[in-house]
Amino acid sequence: MKKFANLLKKEIRELVTLQLALSLAFTVILFSFIGQVSRKEVRKATGVQTISALDLDGSAASQGLLKGLESARFEIRRIEEKTRDEAIDLARTGESKLLLVIPAGFGDSLGSLTPGEIETYSYLRSFSLIGTRSQVVVRGVLSALNNVLSDKVLRDKLPGIDPGSLKNPIKSKDFVIVRDRMAEGSAGQVAGLVSSQSLLIPIILMMIIIYSSQMVISAVAMEKQNKTLETLLTVPIRRTSIITAKMLSAGLVGLISAGIYMVGMKSFLGGIGEEAAQAGAQGGAAIMRQLGLYFSTSGYLILGAAIFLAILVALALAMILGVLAEDFRSAQNMIMPLMFMVMIPYFISLFADINTLSLPLKIFFLAIPFTHPFLVSQNLYLGNYGMIFGGLVYMLVVFTGLVLFAARVFSTDKILTMKLRIGKKKTAVA
Amino acid sequence: MENVLSVKGLKKSYGTQMAVAGIDFEVRPGEVFALIGPNGAGKTTTLRIIATLLTYSEGEIAFLNHDLRKEPDFVREKISYLPEEAGAYKNMKGMDYLRFMAAFYARTAEEEREFVERAAAITELKDRLSSKVGTYSKGMTRKILLARALMTRPVLAILDEPTSGLDVINALEVREIVRRYVKEGTSVLLSSHNMLEIEYLSDRVALIDKGRILDCGTPQALKDKHQAKNLEEVFRSSLR
Repeated sequence: MKKFANLLKKEIRELVTLQLALSLAFTVILFSFIGQVSRKEVRKATGVQTISALDLDGSAASQGLLKGLESARFEIRRIEEKTRDEAIDLARTGESKLLLVIPAGFGDSLGSLTPGEIETYSYLRSFSLIGTRSQVVVRGVLSALNNVLSDKVLRDKLPGIDPGSLKNPIKSKDFVIVRDRMAEGSAGQVAGLVSSQSLLIPIILMMIIIYSSQMVISAVAMEKQNKTLETLLTVPIRRTSIITAKMLSAGLVGLISAGIYMVGMKSFLGGIGEEAAQAGAQGGAAIMRQLGLYFSTSGYLILGAAIFLAILVALALAMILGVLAEDFRSAQNMIMPLMFMVMIPYFISLFADINTLSLPLKIFFLAIPFTHPFLVSQNLYLGNYGMIFGGLVYMLVVFTGLVLFAARVFSTDKILTMKLRIGKKKTAVA
Repeated sequence: MENVLSVKGLKKSYGTQMAVAGIDFEVRPGEVFALIGPNGAGKTTTLRIIATLLTYSEGEIAFLNHDLRKEPDFVREKISYLPEEAGAYKNMKGMDYLRFMAAFYARTAEEEREFVERAAAITELKDRLSSKVGTYSKGMTRKILLARALMTRPVLAILDEPTSGLDVINALEVREIVRRYVKEGTSVLLSSHNMLEIEYLSDRVALIDKGRILDCGTPQALKDKHQAKNLEEVFRSSLR
């Protein structure tokens, strides 16, 4: 045990470098930054919109229109005693992204029930998402205007009747059912929210797997390149201990990295969820809570277990690939097959539902151990615990098989003679 | 007195290529036994097999009367191996490297300290032991590796080209260190291209070529037998 601890300590010290600490700190800062930016954006999207308005008509109808807009969550900045061109210049220097001009005769045309025309001027101040949001504002303004005006006409013509009932005599009340829970809302809205919440998990998982595997492949390859492997293999310690120490150290560092990534992700998703809850008008977060579509502590634990098992499988595979590498440089190429094994299910989980694929394709993807952690979040939401635990067991079996194979390789000549040198001799006689 | 190492009918092949084609030799207590021969003769393969790095196809190897194939862990406790192109962990300080290696062999903290102190004395690197190994010259690295190999006073030290790539002074120092430890009871199995080195260090020599031992004996006996002035001439004569 003392010998193993000695080896483990050395492996950990080789992995925990300043570069690793900086990389993790950078990731956490990045998550926090993305969370803050997203929060700000959600606030902007759901907050009061400011528009400038020039009323050249001055009729009761135009005044009523502006008051109606104010009641529809628009802050109106009225421009007084200016011409259209002066108002356009004035609004350009302000914060408004939209100028509304009500021409003279607007009230009269409404009185004669002919369509009244108003002018809107959008100020495209940048091409970012924030800049182009003025288009959304325009649509919101027009929709609000038409509602206000048509409601007014209907109230005048048919007093005592609710204009809303007249315009939409048939109303639908939408419900979404997930397992045994039901909530009022649209399926599209729920699917969109789930998708946005699950989007980051595969990306983070892919990062961790590739990063941890790189550590192991490099650790074995560096032992070969620095000519320390032969000496290590002749010291009185079991070969399985050498493998275990290398994998455990990379696993521990990988787990700590995963933990830090998860904390960052949770704060990020929590931030979005919090803002979504505040945007209660749409009721997105409320629906998600009602339907139980959020991660509980046990959900996070299961997700963590799936990620950890996937890391272990990747580490065992990396250990074998590391043996095939001749040096650090060739180790960089050895990571490629592993990357593909992670990326293929990642892209599939982004663009398709594995459950609806044809049986051979489904078997193919489920046979890739890294597919399972990508499916965990969706299966947790849907309560497919059989699928989740089946995946966990499968990953454990694959991991055990790979470790046994790696132990076999380390216990034979293959650790020194097995090399993947395309186009060259595979072994060399000393 | 029993032999430290006894090798009988040792064969090793890589696929269809025979690297060691049936060799016999033994290493006696307190003796330096050398394998000399050209590149690809099978020297390093033989040393790697005895160091428990490679398996062998046929033959018997007994180390202190223990079967090497059956008890590799026992053998690893008692031997040390210095490969020809060995390296040390570059990010470790010299002293940390010695402590790291000593911890595998020492049974107590006291013994570990003893090993490290002995190794530090062998290297003569003094303050440089607190620098990272990556900053060492080739000679310094070779000395720390040799110190690592000898610090436990192994029953058998297996040294593959111990002075390979070293300048005259460093090579001389390394030979003196080896000689000193042999006097203290360690047996040595070494391989070298350097016939002068072999003559200076070895008690007995085996001439090896194409995986077979051509001749074996003390340097003087071999020179007398082949009527040669030095081992180079002995080797040339053996090949004929």
